[in-house]
This record gives sequence, C-alpha cells and structure tokens, in this order.
Amino acid sequence: MAKQERKGETEESNRMWASASFVGVLIIIGLPLWWKTTEVYRVSLPFDKISSFDTLPHAITTELSVLANDDATATEIIGLIEHAFKDSDVIKLKISKSIISKQLQSTLEFVADEAEAVEEVGVTFDLTQHNSFYVVQRKPLFQDTWLAGDRVLFFRDAKAATTVVETLKRVVYQTAVLEGAKSETADVARQTRFPPGAGYHIVLSVVHPNPEALDVELDAGEAVEDYIGSFVDELSVLHNFTLKSQWLHLLDFDFQAKEVKDTSEWGRHFSVRTERLHLLLTRLEERAATHVSELPTLNLALYAVRCQAAPLIIYDLNDKKVSSPVQAFMSPKWGGVVLGSPSAGDCRHERAIWRPNVRLIMGTFISQLRKLLGITDAEHITGAHLEPLRSVTPRQWEIDNLLRIRTLEQLTSAERTLQSLAQLLGEISNIVINDDVGASINSAVDSIQRASELMQKGDLVEAYKMSQSAFLAAETAFMEPSLLALLYFPDDQKYAIYIPLFLPIMFPVVLSLKNLLLWFRGKPIHKEKTD
Amino acid sequence: MYLNNVISSVLLLIATSFSITSCAEIPEQFLKSNHSNNWAVLVDTSRFWFNYRHVANVLSIYRSVKRLGIPDSQIILMISDDMACNPRNPRPATIFNNAHEQINVYGDDVEVDYRGYEVSVENFVRLLTGRVPPDTPRSKRLLTDEGSNILIYLTGHGGDGFLKFQDSEEITSQELADALEQMWQKRRYNEIFFIIDTCQASSMYEKFYSPNILATASSLVGEDSLSHHVDSAIGVYIIDRYTYYVLEFLENVHPNSKRSMSEFLAVCPKSACLSTVGVRRDLFKRNPDKVPITDFFGSVRPVIITTDPINILDAPKRKKKPENKTKVPEKREYLPQFPMHLVQNTRTG
Repeated sequence: MAKQERKGETEESNRMWASASFVGVLIIIGLPLWWKTTEVYRVSLPFDKISSFDTLPHAITTELSVLANDDATATEIIGLIEHAFKDSDVIKLKISKSIISKQLQSTLEFVADEAEAVEEVGVTFDLTQHNSFYVVQRKPLFQDTWLAGDRVLFFRDAKAATTVVETLKRVVYQTAVLEGAKSETADVARQTRFPPGAGYHIVLSVVHPNPEALDVELDAGEAVEDYIGSFVDELSVLHNFTLKSQWLHLLDFDFQAKEVKDTSEWGRHFSVRTERLHLLLTRLEERAATHVSELPTLNLALYAVRCQAAPLIIYDLNDKKVSSPVQAFMSPKWGGVVLGSPSAGDCRHERAIWRPNVRLIMGTFISQLRKLLGITDAEHITGAHLEPLRSVTPRQWEIDNLLRIRTLEQLTSAERTLQSLAQLLGEISNIVINDDVGASINSAVDSIQRASELMQKGDLVEAYKMSQSAFLAAETAFMEPSLLALLYFPDDQKYAIYIPLFLPIMFPVVLSLKNLLLWFRGKPIHKEKTD
Repeated sequence: MYLNNVISSVLLLIATSFSITSCAEIPEQFLKSNHSNNWAVLVDTSRFWFNYRHVANVLSIYRSVKRLGIPDSQIILMISDDMACNPRNPRPATIFNNAHEQINVYGDDVEVDYRGYEVSVENFVRLLTGRVPPDTPRSKRLLTDEGSNILIYLTGHGGDGFLKFQDSEEITSQELADALEQMWQKRRYNEIFFIIDTCQASSMYEKFYSPNILATASSLVGEDSLSHHVDSAIGVYIIDRYTYYVLEFLENVHPNSKRSMSEFLAVCPKSACLSTVGVRRDLFKRNPDKVPITDFFGSVRPVIITTDPINILDAPKRKKKPENKTKVPEKREYLPQFPMHLVQNTRTG
C-alpha cells in the first residue's frame, strides 16, 4: 500500500516536472522566440533627417558678373537685379561688380559685330565655367540687350536695366520653369520633358511604307551619329545616351488625308488633321520595338510619305494649314515624328527617288529633342535680341539652366520618395526594410544633404551629380522588390495562420498550469482519489 | 420714389441672376481632367475550361479599351489560361461574347503581358507598386506617372474580402488597398477607375483609402455575380452578366463620344444583372455625371506640332571614336555535326 502510494507520488512528480518543462519550453523559450522571429525586419532609418528635408535650403547659388563702363550704371543694374531676385527660393545670385578696363572698353566699342565682342570678353574672362554668367555693357548696340550662345549678355546702357532683368529672369534663368521643377503639380515643361534618369535611349526609325515604288536615299546611321550624336555630346554632363537607327519597311498608316487643290507644282496637297496624328504613334509603337531597351526611349521617326499621297500637310484644330517649313509633330514624353514628302520632281522619274533634306529633318529632330530633354524655348521679350540657334549645339547657359532644373527636380523627387516611404512604413506594417534598402535610404539621405550644401556653394555640376545619386538611390529603395517579402504573410491574417498551429499545443499546457501551481505549493491534487 | 424702387429691384434682380450664373458654373478644373496619359490593367485570375467566361470578360474590356485608343504598350493584360487555343474549343482562335457569335472578343491581335502561372498575387502587386524584379522588360511594367489615369479591371472568383488567383492563392481587399496607397504615395496615378466582376465584388473596394479612386463592382457583399448564358457548342457559360452588358454599352461608345461615367455606372440594372451593381464614389473628387467615359477607356496623347526647326548652317561631324575594325573577314565554318571533340577523352580512356 505504502509502496504503491510512493510509486504514485513519484509518478505524480514526474508528470508535474514533465508538464513544467513543457510550460518552460513553450512559454519561456517558445513565445519570445516566436515573437522575435515573426517580427517584420526593419533596419533603423534616419526618420528625423527625412522629416527635416523641408527645412533644407533649396536655392541654387549662381555667379553673375556685371561689367559696366562706369560705377553708376553697374550699381543701378545690380540694384534692379537684386530686387528682382530677392524673393526667389530657387535661385540665389552672387553678384560681383566690376568696371570694364579702358582697353577692353575701346575694343568692345571698336569691333563690328557682337560675336567678335564676345570673343574679346572671352579673352579677359573665363566664359567656359558652368554656373557663371556675364552681363557686359557695350555701347554700340541696336537693341537694349543682346544674347547668343555664350554666357554673355550685352546691354547698351542704364536705360536697358529693366530689359536686362527681364531677360535674366525669363530667358537665362527661367525662374518659372525652375519653380515648376519642384512644385507639387507638373507644369507644362515637366509634362513635356522626360522624367529624370541616368540615361536615355534615342532611336531614329525611318518608316518606309512602300519600298517597291520609292527609293529613299538616306544614311540614317550617319545622320544620327553626326547630328544627334553631336547634340547629345554637349549634354554628356547630364546623362548617358545610346543612339540607334532602324528602318521599318511596309509599315503603312492611313492618314485619312483629304486632297486639296492648290497652285503648287503638284497642283494639290493632302491635308491630315491633327486629331488623327496620335494614332500614328500607336501604329509606330507596334513595330518600333523600342521598349526592348532598359532605358527610357526617345522615339524619333521619319515617315516617308508615298508619292500618291504627297505632299502631306498637317491641318490644325481650326482646320487651317500649319505654316512651317517642315511637317512635324511631337508627343510629350514620347518623341517626335517628321512627315517627309518627296517633291513632284522626285516622283516624276520612272523610279522615284527621294533624297531627304537631312539638315532640315535633323534640325527638326534636334528642336524636338531639346524640349523632350528639358530645354525650354525662351519667350520673346521686347527690346531684347536673342540670336537664333544655327547649330545643333545648345547654348551654354541653356545647359547651365538644364543642370539647375534637373538638380531641383531630382532633389525634390528624392525627398518626396523618402518621405512617402517613411509615411508608408507607419501606415502599412508588413513592409520589410532589409540592409540593402536601409543602405540605399541612408545613402539617399546623405546625398540629399550633400547636394543641398553643394547647391549653396554654387558647385552646380557636383550638385547635379549628387542629386542624381540621391534620386537613383531613393528610387531603388522605394522600388526594391524585397519590400514585398512579406506579401504572402499579411498582418490581418497572421492569427489565421498561427491559431491552428498553436492552439492544439497551447490548450493542454495552459490547462496544466493550475495543477502545476497547486503541486508546487505542496497541496495534494487528487484528494478524492486517495479515499 | 417709385422709379427708385423699380431701379433698385431691377439691379437686385440683375445681381441675383449674376450670382446664380456664377454659382451654377463649376470651375473648369473640376470638370476637365488633368491627366496626360491612360493605362489599363486587365486581369483574369482563374484558369480551366469551365472558367471560359472570365477570359471572355477580360477580353471584352481589352477589345473596348484598345478600340477606344489605349495602345497595347499601355495595356497590361494578365490572363491565366488560353481559352482560344484550348483543345476543347470547337472554334479555335476565337472567343465569343455570345452564343450567337456576335463579337469575337479575341480579335486579330491580343498582346498578353502575363499569362498562365505568371498571373499571381505577387506579380499583380509587384506590377501595381512597381517593385518588379530588375530584369523585367519595360512592356511588363506599369510605367505610370502623376498624370496617368488607370483603368483596373479584375474578374475571377471572389468571396467576402478576397479574390482568388489560380485556385491556389488570393488577394485580400486590405492588400489591394495597401498596394493602391503605395501607388498614390509614389505618385503613380492621377485617377483610378476600378471595376471588379466577381461574387461579393464590392467587398474588394471597401477598404480603399487612397484618394481619386472611383470603384464599381458587379455585386454587393452577400450576392453572387451571375453568368449570362451557356453556349451549348462549348458546353460552358460564355460570359458574365455584368461584363456582357458593359460590352454592349461600350460597343456604342466612340473615341469622341460624350457619354459620362455615370451612364457607365448605371449600365447593368438589377433587372438585367440579377445582382446589385455597387459603386463607391466618396474617394473620387469629380462628379461622375461630368466625367466623360473616355477619360478612362480612351486615351489622351497630346500632340504638339513642331514649327520651329533649327536652321542648321553647317552639318556637324561627330568626332568618331577610333574603332579598330579589322579588314580581314571573319573566318566562319560549320560546327561538326556531332561534337566528337567533347567525347574524345572517354574514347581514349
């Protein structure tokens, strides 16, 4: 009897120790381990820095030298310029004043034309520096101001001061476009130009609907290389470009053109309505296969109109002929198209041959590319003379301003991306931030701060590069595929997964707790049974 | 005195009439959409022959948006199964909306971006949020921006709060809402029109919390979304009721027609659908009465006429990088028909 009781007691204690160890393993080791291992992995992020982006200065410091014949003129001009740019939060002018030396003054008045005068200024001052600009007085001037491709603006005298200010504001610095680059909603220029990126892919497609009836003599590859290549070389400080050309044969498009009689050599022309043109883009996309490139593609297309449908002329929305030396259109963020018609003479031959006017066509493409890449055309200001562009090379100050636009755009975009990400991390709990993404975010934050410092210092090219790396790092961080690592493990369904797993084990363990506690206090558990 | 009264009352009348006209006129920006491009994401989530109708559904919408002008490069089409080439299809390479073979929704060219097992919750959420693997081609990405209007159409089998993908997984309404919020935060859309044709469809949009979304569903929570009719030749239901009437409506819409979104939202009355069409408009800022249907089903592609070609004076010559092109033609030869050189060792050994 006693032996049996003792045996019962040892059994009892064994059982109790067993259930105690179950409790120990499950509650003391298991629960924290479960808690730890199911935590959403997130690297600690610099949230305080991200939220303080709004207080970072975003104005770009830029150098402006005013050179005048006498001190009074210089002071007056500078006073007006300073007043005009006082409130600008995108551009901060560092104006230096100097009086033109007697020798240079006489040379400037002596030389016949402005281009030579610019050269003379270039002898004394360094015009090749990015982010610098010279406002120089030159007495014998027909207009108030004169501006060409170099970083020099000539003005006649103190009376031209308001024109100088207007030119600086609306042509050279284009403060409205700069502000548009960082605004919430996209302005016209931002809707037109491609979003910022490290590189672009430019493809010229020569579309040739009926090669059996018309020969097109054009070396597309060479034209792209020479014209587009020379143009993008000037922008190499901003982006990388890859150039390609291709021929698309037998791609026909129904313009639904109407024949109109006129007095030209043809005796007719065909009118195509503007509303019809966007369908051509869709048709081109089917064959152009430009999305094979990983980079965003700028599409350029030369459409060789067949002899039976030539000459093709675009009519605007009011059903009026568009007056232009070339029939061309562009589509924002897509590219440009030139409709090339062979002349009546070309088509009279037995075997029609069309030799396109490469210079005109490429001039059109360059004009379109400028807008698509972000160079906005300056508006005309009365009294100010702007030398028209005569080569593929963009004007020096246009490149400077493009650098400013892109710097601001990239910086604002990077900041917004990081702020959105920070907000999303608060809203949506199962976004994973692994070490790589954390590193991207940290590098983007650092780059943003460095870029802001460089902008204040006026080091434009470095600021641009820094803003670009910030932009790319922020994009990578936001678009990183690993952020969705817990996609199949949503928060609201966690319990649906765990309860069937844990409930069958936890149930007996929790129930045995009461017995365990009683036993530890030394109280008999099965009172009734011993009777 | 009397004259004075008359004048003042006339003035008052003019003033009130002016104020009425100025009140009645809604500012232009509320009416006009400021989107600059259109995208469509069309998803059929179910496979197998008995779900023929879901493929017909999604192709009906595909056909309509393509006809109304959205280019293939801006349509992401996800189809889980290939009904047109299914061996059980008695009329290969066709999918009809109707047993009378009225409209072949398969058409001439269908560009499917995600097919078969690629249609998964993961790929769908990755597509929406843009978090695709880096080697994804551009045609499989949703390259939208802040000016994009997106039409999202989903069809398949659903329940309260989820939509089944491929019989093996499902997307919950919360996941979908979170994905859309991430799109909004990244400025990946201007406005979204969300259509879903499944059972208990309206449960999928109830959790949305991002702005500028107009959503409609073929049935309310607790209701089934029903199919239209059986085609005895193929032996299964051929199309769902809701999409059948949607297609019927869209066939009469033309790229420059002036029909409004509210007409679209009322396209399937209870008498025709047998389920109640649900609409959620509290997130959408504009009045659907004033929104043309082409804002979502059509495509805007602004075209700017170029009139200012650069008059290039001298033709530029790019400095060619020295290329070391060898003049000797490359020697080519046929490979041996059987690669004996690879097995030489074994022969000698």
